[in-house]
Amino acid sequence: MDGVMGRLPQPSRRDVLRCGLGACLAGGMVCRLPCAQGQDVAGTGALPGVALPGVVRHPARHWEKHADGEVKCLLCPRACVVGDVERGYCGVRENQGGKYQTLVYGALCSYNVDPIEKKPLFHYLPGTQALSIATAGCNIECKFCQNWQISQFRPEQVASTPVTPEQLAANCAARGWPTLAYTYSEPVVFYEYMYDAAAAARRRGVGSVMISNGYIEEEPIRELCKVLTGVKIDLKAFTERFYVEQCAGELKPVLRALEVLKDVGIWFELVILIIPTLNDSPEEIKAMARWVVERLGPDVPMHFTRFHPTYRVTNLPRTPVPTLERSRDIALGEGVRYVYAGNVPMHPGENTYCHQCRELLIRRVGFRVESSLIRDGKCPKCGTTIPGVWSQEQALSFAPRQRAAGTAQGTS
Amino acid sequence: MSPPPARRRGHRCTGDREKGEYMLSGREHAASGCRTRREFLYQIGAATAGLVAAPRLLAEPGEAPAARPDAPVPGKATRVIIARDETLTKGSVDEHAELLRKLLDAALQRLTDAPDAATAWRSFFKAGDRVALKVNTLGLSTQPAVADAIVAGLCAAGVRPENIIIWDRFDRELAAAGFKLNQSTDGVQCRGTDAERIGSGYAEEVEKSGEIGSCFSRILTGPVDAIISVPVFKDHGLAGVSLGMKNFYGAIHNPNKYHGNNCDPFVADVVAHRYIAPKWRLTICDGTRAQVQGGPGRSPQHAWSFGGLIISNDFVAADAVGADLLEQERHARGLKSLAEDRRPPKHIATAGARGLGQSDLNRIERIEV
Repeated sequence: MDGVMGRLPQPSRRDVLRCGLGACLAGGMVCRLPCAQGQDVAGTGALPGVALPGVVRHPARHWEKHADGEVKCLLCPRACVVGDVERGYCGVRENQGGKYQTLVYGALCSYNVDPIEKKPLFHYLPGTQALSIATAGCNIECKFCQNWQISQFRPEQVASTPVTPEQLAANCAARGWPTLAYTYSEPVVFYEYMYDAAAAARRRGVGSVMISNGYIEEEPIRELCKVLTGVKIDLKAFTERFYVEQCAGELKPVLRALEVLKDVGIWFELVILIIPTLNDSPEEIKAMARWVVERLGPDVPMHFTRFHPTYRVTNLPRTPVPTLERSRDIALGEGVRYVYAGNVPMHPGENTYCHQCRELLIRRVGFRVESSLIRDGKCPKCGTTIPGVWSQEQALSFAPRQRAAGTAQGTS
Repeated sequence: MSPPPARRRGHRCTGDREKGEYMLSGREHAASGCRTRREFLYQIGAATAGLVAAPRLLAEPGEAPAARPDAPVPGKATRVIIARDETLTKGSVDEHAELLRKLLDAALQRLTDAPDAATAWRSFFKAGDRVALKVNTLGLSTQPAVADAIVAGLCAAGVRPENIIIWDRFDRELAAAGFKLNQSTDGVQCRGTDAERIGSGYAEEVEKSGEIGSCFSRILTGPVDAIISVPVFKDHGLAGVSLGMKNFYGAIHNPNKYHGNNCDPFVADVVAHRYIAPKWRLTICDGTRAQVQGGPGRSPQHAWSFGGLIISNDFVAADAVGADLLEQERHARGLKSLAEDRRPPKHIATAGARGLGQSDLNRIERIEV
């Protein structure tokens, strides 16, 4: 079931050891390992370079002081109240003497140069490459996490290489990579690093996309959208029960974050990993798609992707392809204009069709774009504008809309 | 299906033919730390509420139940020894090394009714045992002098120094607490999980136990016959107390994921695991310096000169008594009870209900020495 990336040769141990990230970025040598088709799986093996002797410490944003030296994190809806020398649920933000600090600022534990389709973002500069990075940590715990070896570990438990935001941006610019992608683990927990990198990237004409679970508070994501150019959100399911039992999270704040993205006007797409028996019922898919159309609009692409057993969910089979096809049909039936089937290479559900005339616009094989007929963001056959970001100029011109009335924090 | 990111490589215990993995031979299986039938039965037994009132091994079918050397004597209440001496509260703890050894020996004798200290120690440990002392160096730390006193007792039982390891999560925290790191093969080992290898000293595979899914420290998954928990007698801002059981949050890679609901039932889930419960011989809680509020970080204004140790071979009972003593001290100081402070140490009752030990204070014999 290996996809395009899966056929790439695996580097030898010597290659990996030799391939320090700094040299890698400077010299253009990129370490790639096979990865799951259609999913944004961390692309590096053991990251070369010397492990950090301890952890880096950098002032965190979005927190407040409490009594007795405790702090309250305001970054994500979990709102951890953290005692001295303790960490938040994410494991990468620590209270030291009443000051909250991030331990992963510039501590890169995974990187790769990926097709943007691997995120997956299908309506954002298709066929281009994104320097994709991650640090340790996540603010939820999906029992089916594909990247749990980095997302569910703390910074001192994974080898990391120090890379500054400016270095990331400079290398993208020098190499001609149009996009920085914050991905693999959960970018929300390395918020400060992501923000600074995205700001530095913008100054150099490089865009930034966040690949996230959307479990973030309103103020931080509004702030972040000032520097991002695109977002992909993993909508894990459409029931609170799933979020609580399978992810140790909540659905409602994610839906709220999606509405904020809609409000600020940034380009975003949704991915739903369909897991047999857990979130694959037609009723749930229908309710989800209906909500998307009503609250986000019909132009937000939905990607239904195939589950593979991993981490703590090893007792369920891969998602049957007909289940993906059924989900796709349901969403199309509810009025979502662009619905994809993921992790099924060669499936016609990977392609983009004009929602007006059904003309095949982008033909994909796995992560590779075989052909694209979109010109100036329009269908060449009927002239319909295809929603998305089709040029770097368009990406970098994005500026968030001012907060609309009735969308102040706390409203719903 | 291509492999997941190869951040942390290693074999899997359960073969996945589709992934080209392999089944381990019996010897490989044992060396890998995979559960044996006996261990599996133990864990099932531990998870069965109310089946047993104190730690014990389950017997193979057809066998008489095998009494562990530290199993409570039938018909007698679980014992918890509270060994205190006011002298310990004066000066530094290091100054009282001899007193600590005597106090600990006396406590072990009282716990076992042994005629002498060496016999008492031998009732829990034998020559050839590989013993892991899990200390706690987060915030208010285990005193090295207490660990030294335990090592002296183990050596009296015939345990070789090189078969003893004092450990916690990080080298840096152990060093900061005054422990002398030793990764050589001579003498007592002392190191953090993070010293096992660069990047991570945790096992490759996720172990499921109740609600938790964690990778355990390789120090525990390696060749260890006996465990002693050497926590600090202290308050905890979420779990209520951080005593012998909570101490093992330092044995898993992701403790940050399990602090919700006052760490319940997660603490019980962690200690019930086959790497811990079947090997746990003693809790020796360091109360030479204690803390009644503001834990686990240091909070000098809430320091408590308890001046002693809490000892039991029933790890649930040791924590139950410790929590009770801490509640009494909080009451005496006019502090809210842990329950009123919305952090009752629920994990102790949960562990008791699962048969991991005795949590009912009425069925625990407290003995002061």
